[in-house]
Amino acid sequence: MPKHVQLSSVLGDWSADIAGAQVSLTPTGVANVTADGDRLVADDGARSLSGAAAVAGDIVWVTIAGDVFAFTVTHGAHRARETRDHDAFMPPMSATVVRIAAKVGDRVQAGDVLIALEAMKMELPIKSPRDGVVRAINCREGELVQPDQILIELE
Amino acid sequence: MIRRVLIANRGEIARRVIRTCRAMGIATVAVYSDADAAAPHVREADAAEAIGPALASESYLNIAKVIDAARRANADAVHPGYGFLSENADFADACERAGLVFIGPPGKVIRHMGSKTGARALMAGAGVPVVPGETPTAQDVSAIGAAVRAIGLPVVIKAAAGGGGKGMRIVRDAAAIDDAVRAARSEAERAFGNGTLYVERLIDRARHIEVQIIGDTHGQIVHVFERDCTLQRRHQKVIEEAPAPRLTPAVRARLTQAAIAAGRAAGYVNAGTVEFLLEGEGDDARFYFLEMNTRLQVEHPITEAITGFDLVRAQILVASGEPLPFTQADVHASGHAIECRIYAEDSRRLLPQAGRLLRYVEPTGDGIRVDSGVAPGQVITVHYDPLLAKLIAHGRTRDEALARMAAALESYEILGLRHNVGFLRRLLARPEVRDVRAHTRFIEGCLDELSAPPAPEIVQAAAAMAAFAASREAEPVAAIDGEASGVDPWDQIGPVDW
Repeated sequence: MPKHVQLSSVLGDWSADIAGAQVSLTPTGVANVTADGDRLVADDGARSLSGAAAVAGDIVWVTIAGDVFAFTVTHGAHRARETRDHDAFMPPMSATVVRIAAKVGDRVQAGDVLIALEAMKMELPIKSPRDGVVRAINCREGELVQPDQILIELE
Repeated sequence: MIRRVLIANRGEIARRVIRTCRAMGIATVAVYSDADAAAPHVREADAAEAIGPALASESYLNIAKVIDAARRANADAVHPGYGFLSENADFADACERAGLVFIGPPGKVIRHMGSKTGARALMAGAGVPVVPGETPTAQDVSAIGAAVRAIGLPVVIKAAAGGGGKGMRIVRDAAAIDDAVRAARSEAERAFGNGTLYVERLIDRARHIEVQIIGDTHGQIVHVFERDCTLQRRHQKVIEEAPAPRLTPAVRARLTQAAIAAGRAAGYVNAGTVEFLLEGEGDDARFYFLEMNTRLQVEHPITEAITGFDLVRAQILVASGEPLPFTQADVHASGHAIECRIYAEDSRRLLPQAGRLLRYVEPTGDGIRVDSGVAPGQVITVHYDPLLAKLIAHGRTRDEALARMAAALESYEILGLRHNVGFLRRLLARPEVRDVRAHTRFIEGCLDELSAPPAPEIVQAAAAMAAFAASREAEPVAAIDGEASGVDPWDQIGPVDW
């Protein structure tokens, strides 16, 4: 059964139709992907590359020659794109809030550090992506926060 | 005679120590926090003791809990590994008081070398070259400023109790002195509870070269050659090699002798590392004492690769009171070895990463050694150092070691989190690294290029593989789900932007 898959990653967006092992990626053409044991081989006619993939929920991890790629499988319109702020205000990983440098009603500028997180012995600053006014702060100092949590909201 | 060793550590170094203990017929006891109950080092040890919650200060860094675990497990010795309590003099003393053999130097040596200014003064007295500098007795801003002017710009202002780059400021401009002193002081006070500062001439564009030494309780101290650890970022080493390339025999002889002099001055026993900065070329190259690390070093495997010694075995023998199993005349280097530190990190943003290892396949091949702390399926948490493994390549020549390392990095399969394998591959391929022209701040200058996305055709191939894997994964679900509800399974997967 042919499948249509949409992929997005920091490296761009792809839309792919899969019929058997033929993967047609828009806009650049077709690659033939075959399984070789537990490795995958992608051949676009010009060259052949070997890699491996693993699927966890809606994230597909791929490695080729030591480089690692994470693709998210999406369906339909990219709803999340509308709320670009949220990306900036989500911790990149589970982390502890060590300092909150803003309060509700504060006028902030792009680049201001609003929250400092700590994880793996490193401090991770959460910076404002734009000028604005702080509408809500959804965390406390000392709290362990997760990657899907929106820590702060701007008006 | 040591019969049962408690390893006060986790991850790859705990497994490394277990391996040698096993070969020597010594029983091992692992310790673990709640976050590590299922970790490989716990499974591999002969016994394991829980020492508390995930937070390191309440488990791996808690002296009372570790000593208590050693008592419960009837251990007669403790190996501290590196990091955690390994350079904590109070811990070494506490082991001794509890009747446990501490596999490392005496507490008083650790304490003395832990003070940067104390170690500096001791080394200068022993004739070991130190970076020109001074520790002003008066510590106010104007006294430090006077020291800066006496030494001459550019300088580095450092914390006496420092380490890891904390409480450290480079000053190139006289106008920036006051701010730098204040910033370094407040950082030093926060990090070490001690705001004492000292000033050193900035050795710019230097290489980081360190010498492995080991001493016994019978008065013998030998060096086991040097390592080049120039490739660092944020004061964290990423690639090390042994022996140091492009070091002339005359400089190597001076350097190793200086390290032995440093060890003698410190009254050193067990394995330790004397770190130096090296500037200049050929026989004219000059080196300066930086600090002494009073423990087994992360990068010890490259020294083992070129000498054939097992440094953990030597540590255990020395701690048992036996003489070193080799003399200086027995120490020969054969070939060249390189180590890459494999970190769970986003190399572009230099952020540590957490996640589950969905697939983990280590490279194999001639001259390849992998010291890893992880296993397939394991969850890498945010609680500890993001080091997943160390990849070591040994060859007859540096070129052969580099080629073997490049092939090993290409075949390393780690899926489920971001890591630095691609970054390391690109770094090793740089002409500056190939030709040994890099200095300690080289990586900072080309971070963008090293972490740039791969060529478009590679990204396309990766996307094709992802699409293929995603569709293959969904096939069985589609068959069942499609019949029962007529719903495409892709509808049930919400959009998640990466």
